[in-house]
Formats: sequence, structure tokens, C-alpha cells
Amino acid sequence: MPYLGGEETVKELRRALSNPHVQGDPLRHRSTVLRVIRVMSQGVDVAGLFSEMVKACATTDVVQKKLVYVFLCSYASLNPELSLLVINTLRKDCQDPNPMVRSLALRNMTNLRLPSLVEYVQQPLTAGLRDRAACVRRVAVLGWAKLHSLQPHADIDAAVVNELYSMLRDNDPVVMVNCLRALEEILKEEGGVAVNKAIAHHLLNRLKECDVWGQCEVLGVLQRYRPHSEEELFDILSLLDPYLLSPSVPVMAATLGLFLSLCCRGLPAVSLAALRRAQAPLLAACGSASPEMKFTALCHVQLLLRSLPGLMGEHYKRFFCGYAEPAYIKQRKMQVLVELVNDDNVGFVLDELKGYCTDVSPDTAQAAISAIGRIGRSYSDQCLEILTGLLGLKQEHITSVVVQTMRDLVWVCPQCSESVCEALEGCEDTLQDSQGRQALLWLLGVHGDRVSSAPYVLEAFVEQVRSEMAAGVKTELLTATMRVFLCRPAETQDTLGRLLHYCIEEEADMNVRDQALLYYRLLHCGIEETRSVLQGRRSDPSLGVLIGRPAEPVSQWARSFNTLEPLRQCNAGAESAPQAAPYHLALDPEPTPGSGGGQLGLSLSPALSPQQFEHLWLGGPQCPHGEPGKGLQAALQRSHIQTMAFTPPHTLPWRVYLYTHTRWGGPAPRGPTLVLGELLYTGGRGLRVTAKQRPRDDEAMKGFLQVLSGALHTSSTGSC
Amino acid sequence: MSVSAVFLLDLKGKVLICRNYKGDVDMAEIDHFLPLLMQEEEDGLLSPVLLHGSVHFLWIKHSNLYLVATTNKNSNASLVYAFLYKLVEVFTEYFKELEEESIQDNFVVVYELLDELMDFGFPQTTDSKILQEYITQEGTKLEVAKSKVPTTVTNAVSWRSEGIKYKKNEVFIDVIESINVLVNANGSVMSSDIVGSIKLKTMLSGMPELRLGLNDRVLFALTGRDKGKTVTMEDVKFHQCVRLSRFESDRTISFIPPDGESELMSYRINTHVKPLIWIESVIEKFSHSRVEIMVKGGKEFLMRAHFGLPSVENDELEGRPPITVNFEIPYFTVSGIQVRYMKIIEKSGYQALPWVRYITQSGGKQLNIFI
Repeated sequence: MPYLGGEETVKELRRALSNPHVQGDPLRHRSTVLRVIRVMSQGVDVAGLFSEMVKACATTDVVQKKLVYVFLCSYASLNPELSLLVINTLRKDCQDPNPMVRSLALRNMTNLRLPSLVEYVQQPLTAGLRDRAACVRRVAVLGWAKLHSLQPHADIDAAVVNELYSMLRDNDPVVMVNCLRALEEILKEEGGVAVNKAIAHHLLNRLKECDVWGQCEVLGVLQRYRPHSEEELFDILSLLDPYLLSPSVPVMAATLGLFLSLCCRGLPAVSLAALRRAQAPLLAACGSASPEMKFTALCHVQLLLRSLPGLMGEHYKRFFCGYAEPAYIKQRKMQVLVELVNDDNVGFVLDELKGYCTDVSPDTAQAAISAIGRIGRSYSDQCLEILTGLLGLKQEHITSVVVQTMRDLVWVCPQCSESVCEALEGCEDTLQDSQGRQALLWLLGVHGDRVSSAPYVLEAFVEQVRSEMAAGVKTELLTATMRVFLCRPAETQDTLGRLLHYCIEEEADMNVRDQALLYYRLLHCGIEETRSVLQGRRSDPSLGVLIGRPAEPVSQWARSFNTLEPLRQCNAGAESAPQAAPYHLALDPEPTPGSGGGQLGLSLSPALSPQQFEHLWLGGPQCPHGEPGKGLQAALQRSHIQTMAFTPPHTLPWRVYLYTHTRWGGPAPRGPTLVLGELLYTGGRGLRVTAKQRPRDDEAMKGFLQVLSGALHTSSTGSC
Repeated sequence: MSVSAVFLLDLKGKVLICRNYKGDVDMAEIDHFLPLLMQEEEDGLLSPVLLHGSVHFLWIKHSNLYLVATTNKNSNASLVYAFLYKLVEVFTEYFKELEEESIQDNFVVVYELLDELMDFGFPQTTDSKILQEYITQEGTKLEVAKSKVPTTVTNAVSWRSEGIKYKKNEVFIDVIESINVLVNANGSVMSSDIVGSIKLKTMLSGMPELRLGLNDRVLFALTGRDKGKTVTMEDVKFHQCVRLSRFESDRTISFIPPDGESELMSYRINTHVKPLIWIESVIEKFSHSRVEIMVKGGKEFLMRAHFGLPSVENDELEGRPPITVNFEIPYFTVSGIQVRYMKIIEKSGYQALPWVRYITQSGGKQLNIFI
């Protein structure tokens, strides 16, 4: 913020600071320094006062010293030479009989963050490690970490590292914990503190002396320890057990994290037992007073559910939303509720969610409706009844989300289509936004034979197409009208003719026009051709089973437990099931050396239709159909990779879309996964591969990439 | 944990005070905080973590302040939030109210505190009772700063200083319970639980050793006693002074208490309670002109309110906010929890008196009743 009269103020302050009368009177001197800091925190640039402030540092008044240090640390990087002057005062303070002064000087010496001062700081830091006051040792230990982060590539002084290791036995728990923190920083490249049995047991024994921050730190470091025997493991677990009851959520979470990392290798039974043990404390954390903690806990509950689907099913009431809770918590809770649904509680959960659908906040209402839609994949009748009831409210935003939800539901649960088709009648009047109308059009197109009014609804849309703004709605309208035309030609022919005429002759959007032209020419090829292109599958039940989803092994996510990562996935959308994760990697057209991928086989069945591919690729760019490079296609076909679409050869950027299913031939039975891929060549060296996978399987992805690069290699010698 | 810097912002996003702990994130990044927050709020995606480039903002809001921590590591989120709340707690104990004005009035102390609370992104001394021994607002009045280090900075018992003296040794125990009842639209109780806490006000000399006895069902089962009413506690959480291992092994609550006021423990009891107070409300709308709200409470009170309304009407659906009732019932606990004894042992052997008080309060999400 610009501060008026800043320069005047600085001048006046300089005068005051260099006034011998002010310097002589401690009270006045301090209040002047205080004014400098006050102006500084108001945003005025007071860097010009640096040399005056350096002088003000030489004082017996600790508060004034602190204020000057705040100033110096903010401006030191601008005045490296002048900062040298401070070092002398600071080094003198390091000899002060008062430990508070010593620790203050030492802390600020390392906070100046000037690489040029390192040589002056090392000696006081070394002395500080052996100071008799714990508060000085605390600062000195962290000081070494700061020095190292200032010069991360400098050689590590083995003597210091040894001293820090030995100081893990310091009487003061904070010194001990700071040693851990410093060693973690200094030995970052080697993987942090080496935790052997002696250190691990020492840390475990002193855990109770530490404050909550220290406990979290120690528990975190211990994650790297591997007990030598099962007996030792159980001893450690029972020692840690009480910490699950800690009033501090972070300590509880750190303990859980340690439980998981200790158990997740080797002992699946213990690891599952640990997860069950985790249930109660996590539930308690979900009820904490601070919304942020609640949010963090909810995110971690979601992690847990990935490995134990349906755990906590009986505690579903704990995830009901409070009226005043922030929207991000409500949305998380609903996502959790969807996962917890079972035969016993589905009625109660749906009742509760139904209440949220009419929430004053549209975001909450929409989240609730989508949640009901997801439950509908397992309990379709009950959910459809609620959704249909919501349409009766004739609220714009509700109807839109309900129709979208119904579209998604019908795609995975074909048995719902009957009731959805009935419910659709008459809701076109309430729909205003383009998302909702697109969903309605898709439904009308695919199920036009069952919605008696379909041709007439479409006709109304076509009549208003001139005033339609959204291109998405227009393309959806084209496809829908074409599809309805195929099953009810007599009623739709006239409408379709008018729509095609408008889109080809008057439409300004090229995408819409091209699509209209494509359909027009397709119709010339005959009705059977058109039918084979336009009428793909109406549903894909394999995509969305909610119950009986395979449990992920704990090791998949144990590493990210109690970090920021689970919170970051919050904006990924309501789909909390393991999602298709895009991989981006640059690929040299040379086969990578084998890594056990030989077990992996690829397969083309079940075959995908172009629509399905497009639907799965989810908003991927549409690609013009062209002549495929025959050599590559054949090479891919031999490797059981189906090419879906090509750009014509010799155009840039050049793209290929492809898919395959992975099959495992090895002794370990694993489910097949579907891999969708895009190859992108923009000129220059290398080919970019983007792949999506469902469900996620890193091994399979590796194998797929290997096969793909092999195929590319064989064909690159041929045509491309 | 790795907090790079901590900021205190006003509601317009202006930095009031900041402290750069690690120097690995550009301090100017904070300028992106508020625009990002407003953007996400508009999109309905607001969450307590905001991301800008590789910098994460973890934030909480307190009165007219944002407290923001920045980090570029995959740090421990719950720990960072706990630290931000600790900041609020410490500042509140220093300034009574934590708000923009109190920060501006006390910024010297705020700087001093920020310096002591954290070093290089790691929390250091965070107990406000200990901090108050060597950082004081009176310090500004220049009494040639304290030269003595408080023993607590080096003490093994970090929550209590040595050498505390009282003329009269007393300890006050408050058992406070609140009930959460969730009632659905049909008026039936969906779930109910009791959340309780035991608070202490300790005025004891020296380093006393305290033992608290409750009518805990698990304890009674352990010792084979079964007379009188007992309670089953869940989600029991203790102040750090309580020896958790002893509680785990034989359910004994033993501890050296912090001086002054503190919360010793909290618990939850999951039982079916009949709502203590019952509210019925009837809202009647008379077309455009007026709305009548009738609220009936218990058996004795009836409130009937008429509001004359302007004839302009909002098209939007009106939300029905739940009715919240605040009440307090002294000398009564719903769960029937009892303090059976409080033993106080100090090596000087003084006699001390424990005082117990029971209070029942309305809970946080009390009585969400729609009729």
C-alpha cells in the first residue's frame, strides 16, 4: 500500500535516531526504534535507515534489540556489506551472561540469511551447541540447519553431524527434537536421519516428554524405522497405542501414520487391524471444533475407505451435515456418506441427503443431488423416486442437476432408463443452463423411442436454435435429432431438415457446421450406414459399481497419509473412486530395458465403440477421421493395441488415439484394466504419450508403455 | 512441518504482520492469496488449502483476520492448522481479543511472540503461560528487561513452573456437559450424544500430584465393583499433563496440573437422551402480506410473532434455518457422571480442598427442529 508522506517520515526518523539526546535516553531511543518498526509494518520502505539501526543495536535493552533485529532481518539482503557491522555486535551478545540475550543473538545471526556471513557464524554456533542453557542449544541446533539450507551444496561437516547425533541424548526434549529437524534438513540428500534400533528406542522412550509438536516430529521420523522382529514391532505398537487417544489431532494422526507405515509391509492382518483401530480416533477428529481440522480428518477418512470400503458404515450419522458448516465440509461429508451406504442405512442416508437437496446454497444442493445419483447406482429405485420428486419442485438449478445426474445414472444402470424416460416429460421448460439442456438432449437422443414427446421437444429446441448461444447445446441437438430421426423418422424428418439447413447455411460456429455437414453426407450414404455410426451402446454397466469395489492395498496411499496430499484432491470432483489418472511422459522411440513386464498381455476385447471411447476420454479433443498410417496401425494391431482415430499423415500436430485392455498372465491374479492413450507428435525429437487408465494399476501402465514403445520402434523403421 | 512464513492479513488482504521463517517462498506470493480465495469462493470450491503455483496457502479466519501459513513442501496439514489455532490461542491470552485493532496496538509483542513461537518453520515454545513469564506487554514500559530465564524453558514438566506459591491451596473442578440432538423433520430423534469436559482451576503450591476418580464403568468393571450408576465414556481426550499410559493400563487419571485454568479432559457419551427442551414452530404465510411464526417451547412458553411484510416477494426458495436454543442448567449432568474423589499429594504435605461443580449447557447443533 502506498503510504503518503513516507519519505518525510524516513527523514524525520533518521534525524531522531542520530540525535545524541535521543541516543542518550533509553526510553526515547526505544520509542524511536519502535516507530521505525511501526512504519515498516505499514509498508513504508525504511531500508535507508539501515546504518542508523545498526548503531541502535548496541544497547542493553533487550526489547530494543529484538526490534532492531526484526528490522535487520528484513533488510539484510539489501545491504550485505553493512550487515557485516552487525555481526560484531551479535558475536559480542553471544558472550552475554544472560542466556536470553545469547539465544536471541544466535537466532538472528542465522536469520540474516547472508551466505557471506557464514564464516563468522560458524564459531558462535559451535559454541552454542555446548552452551549450558537449553534455550541457547535449541537455537544453535536449528542454526546449523539454517546454514545448510543457505548453502545446500556446501560440504557437510562430519563433526557437526556427529555432534548433532550425540545431542539426541540431550536432557532438554526440545533440543532433541530440534536435532532431529536439523539432521533431516542437513542429511536431506541421504534420506534424512539414519534411524537405527538404538535411536528408535531412545526416541520412543522420550516421546512422552515432548510437547505435541515434538511428538509429531518424532513419530514422523520413526516412520523410517523397520523393526527387526515381530515381537519388537508389537512392543512398539503397544507403546504407541495410548497416543491414539491424544487430545491433539496432529499427534493422533502422526501416530496413525506411524502405525500404517510399520504395518503396511508384510503383515496385512495387522495392518487391517491398525486401520480398524484408526476408526474411532478419526471419527472423533471428524467432530472437532475447528472446521479445518474436520476437513483434514474427513479427507483422511476417505483415504481409509479406499482400503476398507464400507468401514464406519454404522457411524453414518456422524457424517450428517450441520446447518452452519462450511460448504467444503458438507461436500466432503456427502462424498463420505455415498461410500458408507449399505442395506441397513440407505434409507436414513437418502432421507438426510434429500433434505440437503433444497438447501439455500445451490452448490450444496447440487452436491447432494449428485450424491443421490451415485447411490442410485446401487439402490436405483429409491434414488430415482427422490430425483423424480425433485423435478416436481420446478426449481431451475435443481432440475438442471437432476437431469445431469439422471443422464450419468442411465449410462451405468440401463435398468433405470424406463423410469427416467417417464420423469423427463415436461422438464424442458424449467431448464435454463446449457449443461442441463445438453443432458436432456442426450437422453432424448439415446432414448427417443421411449419418450413419447421427444420429437416435439426437439422441435421446440430447433425453433429456438437461432437464439441459442452455446455451441455444445447445438452439437448435442444435432446428434439427438439424428438419433430420434433413426427411430421415429416420420415425426422427425421435417425438424431434422430444418435444423441441418440452419446449421449448414447460417451457423457461424465451424464445429457445429462441420458436424451438420458430416451428418448430411452420412445420410447420403444410406440409412443403414447412418444407423451403424450413430447408434452405439446406450449404457456401460461395467463402469460404475459402487458396492463390491475392490479394496486398494494400504501401501497405495500410506505414504501420503497425514500430509497435504489428501487435501489437495478435494477439487478433483465428486468422483472419489480411483480415477483415470493421466500420465505424461516423454518417450524415446527405443524400447526400454525389461522390468518384469513380460507377464503382461494386452487384449482387444471387449471392443469399444467410438462413442464409448469419446465418453471415456472425457472431454478429450475431437479428432478428424483420416487415412491412418498403415504401417503403424498394423504394428499396433499386432501388439493388441487398437487405434481409434488418426490425423492424416504429414500434418502437425499429428495425433493418434488408441486403447487396449491389459491382461495379467502371471501367478498373481489381478483384474484387467482399460488403457486409453493419445500419441502426440509436434515435430522435433520424441513422441508424447498421454495415457488414462481405469482402474489404476502402475505395473500395468509400465507394461503397456513398454509394449507400445516396442511397437513404435518396429514401425518407425517402416513408414512413419 | 515446514511452514515457510506466517502472515496475518486483514479482510482486504493487506498484510498486518508477517514473519518469514525459512526464506524458501517469495514473500510477495501472499498478494495472490485473497484474489484466489475470492475466486474459489465464487466457484463454490473454497477449501482451507489454496494452491498458487507450487505454493500452498493454509489458512484460517479469526474475527476480522486471516491467519495464513505458506509452504512449498508436502507438509503435515493438521499440524499446520493446529499451529495457526495455537497462534490464535496465544494471542487471545495476551490481548483478550484477537482482531485487527489488537494486532496494531501490540505489534511489538506480536513480533516477539512470533519469534519465540517458531524457528525455521518449527514450533518452539508455544505454551502461553510460559511465554508470559518472559514476554510481557509491560516490557514496553522498560523495566530493564528480565534477565532471569524462566525455569520452564528448561523444565521437564513443560506446562508448569516450579516455585508456585498460594496462601490457600484449592482446586476447582467444573464438569460441563452439552447435548447434541439431531431431530428429523418428523420430530423423531435421529441421534443424540453428550459431549462433556472437565475443567480445572488450579491454585496449588509447588509440584502437586493429583488423582481424579470418576464413576467410569470400565474402571468399575476392572476393580469388580458394581454399585451405583456408572458412565461409559468414548473419545476420551486428555490434557498433555495426564499420564496416558496409566489411564490405558488401569484407568487411573493421574497428573501434575498446569497452574490456573485448563481443560483436563473431554469425552463423548453415546446414549439415547430425551431432549431436555422441546420446541415446535409453525410458520404460516398469508400470501404476500404477512408471515406468522409460532414457537412453542416446553409446556410453559408460547411465542407468537407476526411480521408485516412488504408486498414485494423474493422468487427464491426460502431456507428454514434451525431454531437454536441456549440454556444452562447448574448442578446437573445429563450423563450422571460424578467426581468420586480428587486426591492431592504434594511433598510439603499441605492440605488442599477440591471443589466440584456440574453444569449442563445447550450443545452446538441443538434441536434442529422443523415442523
